[in-house]
Amino acid sequence: MTAKRARNLAFAALVLIAAMIWIFPLYWALTTSLRTEGRIVSDSAGVLLDEINLAAYREVLSTSKLARWYANSIGTSLTITGIVLLFGMMCAYALSQLRFPGRRLLYLLIVGSFMVPVPALYVAQFVLMSDLGLINRAWGIILPQLIVPVVVIVYKQFFDAIPKEMREAVLLDGGGEFTLLFKLYLPLNWGITAALAIITFISAWNNFFWPFLVATSEDMMTIPVGITQVNDSFGVAYARMMALALLAAAPVILAYLVFQKRVTEAVMISAGVKG
Amino acid sequence: MTATGVHLEGVTKSFGAVDVIGGVDMQIGKGEFAVFVGPSGCGKSTLLRMIAGLEDTTSGSIHIGARDVTHEDPAKREVAMVFQSYALYPHLSVFENMAFSLRLARRPRKEVEEKVNRAAGILQLTDHLHKKPAQLSGGQRQRVAIGRAIVRAPEVFLFDEPLSNLDAELRVQMRLELARLHKALGTTMIYVTHDQVEAMTLADKIFVLKSGMVQQAGAPLDLYDDPVNRFVAGFIGSPGMNFLEATVSAHDTDGIRARPKGQPDLDLSVPITSRPAIDSAISLGMRPEHLTLTDGPGLQVTVDVAEELGGISYQYGALQDGSPVIFQQVGARHGLRGTVQNLLPEPGRIFAFDAGGQRVR
Ligand SMILES: Nc1ncnc2c1ncn2[C@@H]1O[C@H](COP(=O)(O)OP(=O)(O)O)[C@@H](O)[C@H]1O
Ligand SMILES: [Mg+2]
Repeated sequence: MTAKRARNLAFAALVLIAAMIWIFPLYWALTTSLRTEGRIVSDSAGVLLDEINLAAYREVLSTSKLARWYANSIGTSLTITGIVLLFGMMCAYALSQLRFPGRRLLYLLIVGSFMVPVPALYVAQFVLMSDLGLINRAWGIILPQLIVPVVVIVYKQFFDAIPKEMREAVLLDGGGEFTLLFKLYLPLNWGITAALAIITFISAWNNFFWPFLVATSEDMMTIPVGITQVNDSFGVAYARMMALALLAAAPVILAYLVFQKRVTEAVMISAGVKG
Repeated sequence: MTATGVHLEGVTKSFGAVDVIGGVDMQIGKGEFAVFVGPSGCGKSTLLRMIAGLEDTTSGSIHIGARDVTHEDPAKREVAMVFQSYALYPHLSVFENMAFSLRLARRPRKEVEEKVNRAAGILQLTDHLHKKPAQLSGGQRQRVAIGRAIVRAPEVFLFDEPLSNLDAELRVQMRLELARLHKALGTTMIYVTHDQVEAMTLADKIFVLKSGMVQQAGAPLDLYDDPVNRFVAGFIGSPGMNFLEATVSAHDTDGIRARPKGQPDLDLSVPITSRPAIDSAISLGMRPEHLTLTDGPGLQVTVDVAEELGGISYQYGALQDGSPVIFQQVGARHGLRGTVQNLLPEPGRIFAFDAGGQRVR
């Protein structure tokens, strides 16, 4: 009894330590953002939160194009999420339920596209976007991010698991493929749809490198790219940068707190697929 | 016969190189309750699904009423199907499950409510309309599946082993309800089962299938009294018919005499008009209720198990050579287990089959 209790305590302590290691960068960003720029680089800045100064936030909110970047981030991330889910779902439905020549090959190609690291495509994609005249355009940010094979693969697995009789019942009831997809397969998979939506949105929101390449004008930047704009004539402005980073992360953190269970589920499912 | 309900002509089905249905002709009258019965894997479901349009027809034609539906979409055939697994839509309420087809057809809201409520009334589901399928018992889910079919007012109802997921008591109850439903609606119904008791109790007309071929079609008692081959004779009736191998020992005016294997001093009279050659092999079929105890010579059966059901009992035993024999006793109270009994078939109640299993008449 007591041995078990001791083991539990030890385990709890271990988890607590691990959690503290994980949370420290966030904590550090918070303390830094609440200090004055001068204090951060001086020796007196310790680990404890001993100063609450909102100057960095005030500065960032008044001088940067934060509102604009927010709008850009929300717009591109929502568009990406919507299109990726809709097309991924339809593609998975076709692969899972329709019989057409080349179906298996197509599926293998999609699974295979997993193996290609996204950065390997940056140059080709940049040239393509540039040829299409989409540099510094929202669609230039969005289009390359629409390739998310994991969504297709996850949906296909879930669609495969739906009993054939249910499909046949809909056919007899007078439904066609669209009815099947939107009135049967989608409603039966709202849970996984929410999970996929959340991870797609978060990864689009957090994406830095691609928007950084495409959006060179301040007006087109997303939040993570915007953070790099915050420096003054003396160099990097740590407090302001951290304040901006926290503001950028806020929606994601909020989404995580609200949808905690779904996010965990989503990460586990896609990790399972990625193996 | 009345108007045509469903008519199949030369229907075949192959899955790749495998022929599953091999040339089926059948005529089901409008309003008839037809049952496909046969052992597992004989093609009952496949045939039903072909009528529903869920499987393509390889060759032959399928008519529903006067319409040739051989190449018609399932939805346009005006058939409704009740699946063994029920296949209810788990995310929709009972009401919406039943309303699904009407909603797809964009029927006015009032009509939808009226039809669903009427079906729910017939099936005693009125108190459950707002529930999800997961909150229902097996019997209730079964009723919802039937309700979904009723609401569409189809020309033909198709049932694929609808009761096999229910426990024994509920199965008997639902069987009665289905019989009542058929009476109330008067719609053509086709019902698939491997359970010959279900077939006997429900059917106006039974189609016995084996290996994708109709062995015999007819009213339940006609099949029982006059099977065309050994398969049908053995399949219809419970407990099943007894079969004994025998040789033809003599011809006489009323038929032939046959000597069961291992019973040198017993000649059974078999009333058939044909005259198979003396000494040729023949199978004799006798139903358990047609074997009676006798004091004189007869089939010597050692009884090892007795099923006493109160009114009747089934006695299970074997001849000296080990061939199993079942016979029925009515109202008897003397335990026969462990005893040796002499049995004779009632005169005229003996069927003969040739080596290929065909009935010899
Ligand atoms: N889609 C299919 N592909 C290949 N063979 C099939 C298919 N469906 C059924 N079969 C075969 O057809 C035969 C009849 O099946 P089925 O109609 O389900 O039998 P039953 O309903 O009488 O038990 C079985 O041997 C089965 O294996
Ligand atoms: Mg079957």
